[in-house]
Amino acid sequence: MSGWQGKLLRVDLTAQTCTTEELNPVWAKEFLGGRGLASKYFVEEVAADVDPLAPENKLIMAAGPLTGTYGAANGRYMVVTKSPLTGTIASSNSGGYFPCELRYAGYDMIIFEGKSAHPCYLQVYNDRVELVGALHLWGKPTQDTEDAILAEFHGDAKVACIGPAGENMVHFACIVNDKHRAAGRSGVGAVMGSKNLKAVAVRGTGGVKVANPQAFRTAAIEAFGMLKENPVSGQGLPALGTPVLVNIINQFGALPTRNFQEDTFEGAEAISGENLVATYLKRNKGCMGCLIGCGRVTGLKGSRFSGDGEGPEYESLWALGASCGIDDLAAVTKANYICNEYGMDTITAGATVACAMELAEKGLISADEIGMPLKFGDADALVKLVEMAGKKEGFGAKIALGSYRLAESYGAPELSMSVKKQEFPAYDGRGMQGMALNYATSNRGACHVRGYLVSPEILGLPEKLDPQVTDGKATWTKIFQDFTAVVDSVGVCLFTTFAIGVPQFTSFCKAATGLDYTDETLLQAGDRIYNLERRFNLEAGIDPSQDTLPKRLLNDPIPDGPLKGEVARLDQMLPEYYELRGWSVKGIPTKKKMQELGLT
Amino acid sequence: MIQVRFYSLLRLMLKQEQLDLPAREGETVGELLQRLQQQIKIPFLHKLLNEQGVLHAGTIIMVNRRNILHLEELATPVKDGDQLGFFPPGAGG
Repeated sequence: MSGWQGKLLRVDLTAQTCTTEELNPVWAKEFLGGRGLASKYFVEEVAADVDPLAPENKLIMAAGPLTGTYGAANGRYMVVTKSPLTGTIASSNSGGYFPCELRYAGYDMIIFEGKSAHPCYLQVYNDRVELVGALHLWGKPTQDTEDAILAEFHGDAKVACIGPAGENMVHFACIVNDKHRAAGRSGVGAVMGSKNLKAVAVRGTGGVKVANPQAFRTAAIEAFGMLKENPVSGQGLPALGTPVLVNIINQFGALPTRNFQEDTFEGAEAISGENLVATYLKRNKGCMGCLIGCGRVTGLKGSRFSGDGEGPEYESLWALGASCGIDDLAAVTKANYICNEYGMDTITAGATVACAMELAEKGLISADEIGMPLKFGDADALVKLVEMAGKKEGFGAKIALGSYRLAESYGAPELSMSVKKQEFPAYDGRGMQGMALNYATSNRGACHVRGYLVSPEILGLPEKLDPQVTDGKATWTKIFQDFTAVVDSVGVCLFTTFAIGVPQFTSFCKAATGLDYTDETLLQAGDRIYNLERRFNLEAGIDPSQDTLPKRLLNDPIPDGPLKGEVARLDQMLPEYYELRGWSVKGIPTKKKMQELGLT
Repeated sequence: MIQVRFYSLLRLMLKQEQLDLPAREGETVGELLQRLQQQIKIPFLHKLLNEQGVLHAGTIIMVNRRNILHLEELATPVKDGDQLGFFPPGAGG
């Protein structure tokens, strides 16, 4: 095989054994790698009704056939498992150097199964693979864990690990690699913790072989040129990073504020990317081989908090900021650092604190129960609650369940701003109808990186769409979702798609694998992956009635700003979306569609 | 007066968040931009427009918080009391 390394590593944590297997070449061609190929292995090996935190659940770390090549920001990998937060199949993406190192060690993916009797971590040095004890690492924050592993294993190793939140099985625990990058959403870190697996450390000294080096070089030169020339990837993202969106989305009137009760945040300037540059930003940083460099290296010197790290990104600034009514950038950054150290998804962490704030303001939770008075705008409470969640300490144990279970436990599940129990990111679907449809139909619950309709609806990329028009949004949503599944599967950063499109990905995939991909077959692979995930979710009991949005978005008009009066008009788009997908009117993939995709 | 706010790279380049301009009868966003460039000596229009004077893909200009892409683009009229926001191409997620 070219492109793929052709080998996977299977780690049985119960038996403490590590074996290698040849990658299934037919599956690799049809499901590409990363999200797609890992999902294929996952659904073939794991029953849909598995308890996500039971040993029978598996956790797969998977790179793509382009991961670790010099193509274009090709430093990504995926973690696939069944989510404890949503009960859906989860695939959580991260970038950095760890994904490439996995490939350089000779593997496309690692499948973890069973449960270790004691804390352990995996050491990989090319074909020398060993599970070793991790009792001495248990309880350590993510950065300290990585430092300790580098000291005792290999100084050039790349590490992915969980922090205390993963160990405590916080429902939105993440897996942190390269100290500051995270497979953030859906609680994949909790699954790792449930298996007593603290970390994966990889040192690889090999390379990645592509089928046609000359064609690959041509594709890379074209892509690099497009990325450099494009004003978003060439200038905007390097200078301001993702936080540039705070002011854009707020001015647009779709920045969810105080748990989606409003959509314009009066404190947006204070938590904006512009203010981050003026205060705590030290420099930007990229993943391996990336010329965008959107990462934010920051430090809190000169503030009332201490610490250094990376972030906050746009989503974190929103979740820990506007969503909680907090305009204290230092506190938001500190809460972000705590999430990184404990290994927690900043979006669900912030959104769940916001939900708790609304529950408290509505009198549904008492200050005694929380352990402190709680109201929107309380920055100190945010910092305390995030840490308590990581420790599952006191009221933090309720935060640790995510907003749906929290709100439900107080008889008000409608106050959880989530789909399929996963919290929204930083865009109100009432203000952009395509995004609303994407949220409702995302296979891992509310998510912006399953179909980023923000791009055409707000940013005008690749072309402008009127955000309030519903006509045509089903088509756009399906195309974005399928294309995203491809990008997630081949191991490339989604941000490249602001500059390069399907034809460039096709060129890369053909050159890397030597297979005859076309634009159509590549997008069909995305469709196949989407349907595979959908089928698993249906078998797991996530029925189509959950393709919906909270009542607040469907029934309560935006109360303020330029989009005042708007609601999400899901009913005008969902039937057409089902039809385009080849699903029944009830949202079930038809036999004909599954046959067409080879999924029968 | 017309209030103009700079965001993102423009704010970093110009080291200025905001300025007020007197309104002119019948002026469009495109004309106001040219007037603004004459007043501000640091070249900045190329961050918003290409060499043909067309908006870069991804440029956002808001008039009273409405994207001119969904109004009349550079021909969108501006009047006394309007608030304008200029965002060179940026994105995230």
